[in-house]
Amino acid sequence: MDRGRLALSLIALAAALALPFVAGPFWTGLATQMYIFGLLALSVDLLLGHAGLFSLTHASFFAVSAYTVAILQVRYAVPTTLAAPAGILAGTLLAAVFGISVRTRGVYFILITIALGYVVWGVAHRWSSFTGGDNGVTNVPFPAIGGVGITSHTQYYYLVLAVILLCALGYRVLIRSPFGLGLRGIKASETRMQSLGYRTSAHLYAAFVLSGALASLAGVLYVYYNRFVNPVASSFPISVEAALMAIVGGSGTIIGPFLGAGVVLGLRNWVSSFFEMHHAIMGAVFIATVLWAPDGLVGIAARLRARFSRPKEPGP
Amino acid sequence: MTQLAIEVGALAKVFGGLAAVDGVSLSVPAGERRVLIGPNGAGKTTLFHCITGTLKPTRGSVRLFGRDVTRDPEHRRTALGMGRTFQITNVFPDLTLLENMTLAIVGTDRRKWVMHRAVAAFADVRRQALEGLEAVGLAGRAAQPVKLVSYGERRQLELALALNTRPKVLFLDEPCAGLSPSERQRISKMIAGLPRDITLVMIEHDMDVALGLADRVTVLHQGRVILEGTPDEVRANAEVREVYFGHG
Ligand SMILES: Nc1ncnc2c1ncn2[C@@H]1O[C@H](COP(=O)(O)OP(=O)(O)OP(=O)(O)O)[C@@H](O)[C@H]1O
Ligand SMILES: [Mg+2]
Repeated sequence: MDRGRLALSLIALAAALALPFVAGPFWTGLATQMYIFGLLALSVDLLLGHAGLFSLTHASFFAVSAYTVAILQVRYAVPTTLAAPAGILAGTLLAAVFGISVRTRGVYFILITIALGYVVWGVAHRWSSFTGGDNGVTNVPFPAIGGVGITSHTQYYYLVLAVILLCALGYRVLIRSPFGLGLRGIKASETRMQSLGYRTSAHLYAAFVLSGALASLAGVLYVYYNRFVNPVASSFPISVEAALMAIVGGSGTIIGPFLGAGVVLGLRNWVSSFFEMHHAIMGAVFIATVLWAPDGLVGIAARLRARFSRPKEPGP
Repeated sequence: MTQLAIEVGALAKVFGGLAAVDGVSLSVPAGERRVLIGPNGAGKTTLFHCITGTLKPTRGSVRLFGRDVTRDPEHRRTALGMGRTFQITNVFPDLTLLENMTLAIVGTDRRKWVMHRAVAAFADVRRQALEGLEAVGLAGRAAQPVKLVSYGERRQLELALALNTRPKVLFLDEPCAGLSPSERQRISKMIAGLPRDITLVMIEHDMDVALGLADRVTVLHQGRVILEGTPDEVRANAEVREVYFGHG
């Protein structure tokens, strides 16, 4: 990492640490959501930005994990130390099943993931004796580890911050590893990868399950923040928004999905206060990104940086 | 009798109604250098695809050192010792040359599954990748993304990738096509200098290169083998002159 980026990271970290003190509960809450949905977007982007697979079923892992935690904590009084891992496990197991979709590519992969996502949404919606139907599961407590419990949204903010920092570090190692390079190779030319000795479907399956595990972790963070979960968490728009966040922020990067989450959540909050059709605005943002900034915010930053750091060349 | 590296039995590949390969049988002893020639559309590339597993043959069988690999997927055949280049350059445009080579080097061993260590931490892989680039004259380009290097350099990378999967049998599909005369010379010299224990099967349009390098030549025409022999026999054969050179 060069010095400029290191300095920028430290400033961002300091700002994140100071946020609850300088900004009110509203901004702290928004930032917590940004981290949680940024993590979900990051999980989607492991497939999208690295392996070239566009999944639209990640809300499923997110929601199954959230429901598992909620049901265990609320109905069976299972402590956080067991409920949270159980949530991640449940979401990851679902990803291990849904991972069969890596046998398809391109538009078929997209379609099959949409269909799988609807199955989960249907179950959450219809199996009301277990999932609580449209009301979902409410009164989820704050997490508590051992005797030590979270008692405020500010404390929870720091917990989430710590978790996403650890995830970002782990993710960074993963995408720089031979396995991560292999994913980028598959995205660029799957046929060549096969002829170099890679069983590409196995690689993609492993990436799918890992990505599902990360989405499940985001689901755990979500349910403890929200204190309830209902079928909306598993719905198609959540999967779409997660992909949108990654693309708006900068697919293929680590910071991008978090920035994208910030933009999408911030805009939605702001626009919906005076305009009912905020979904239309989201659509417009997405179209503008694809047309004019396909590399997202990170791409815009890189272009600006290139323009200002390059010595001026004589004009033609 | 020496062992057969490659044994193709009555292989056919039909596209729609067209038999691109129409019952080819071919045996290449270990260590031999075999050149495949034939006019455009003869089915040379399709035959390669079927042998290396890129395509499934409609009929017929493929053996590698006596082992039936007809049903093995391509990555398995690579693990068993087949390496190949593509006629249409097939490398990783967004990655650097060094990353391209890294993929080739770890592709045939378990390190491709390592998730917890950065590529940069594998010093031996890096060294081998740089050596591999050096061997095809690309050492100075290691850090550049493929999309920024010239067509000729990509062709050289194409060859370097195949060489670094530890092949026992190497299939080269027109490795010199589209190169400048000087690049062409370097590459054909490099191929001639490959260790003799690597069995070589090469498609080549340039007759001088082909006949200069080959131990034996197989001539393909309309999906069939019409002749197999030493370079001298092929040069002397009237039928080959007819179909291949288009004149008597
Ligand atoms: N995927 C495909 N679908 C349909 N037809 C194909 C396909 N691939 C090759 N063919 C046809 O099969 C025949 C053999 O093609 P092939 O590429 O094997 O020839 P070749 O001997 O390698 O020719 P060249 O010297 O031009 O490379 C051609 O008529 C070609 O049009
Ligand atoms: Mg060809």
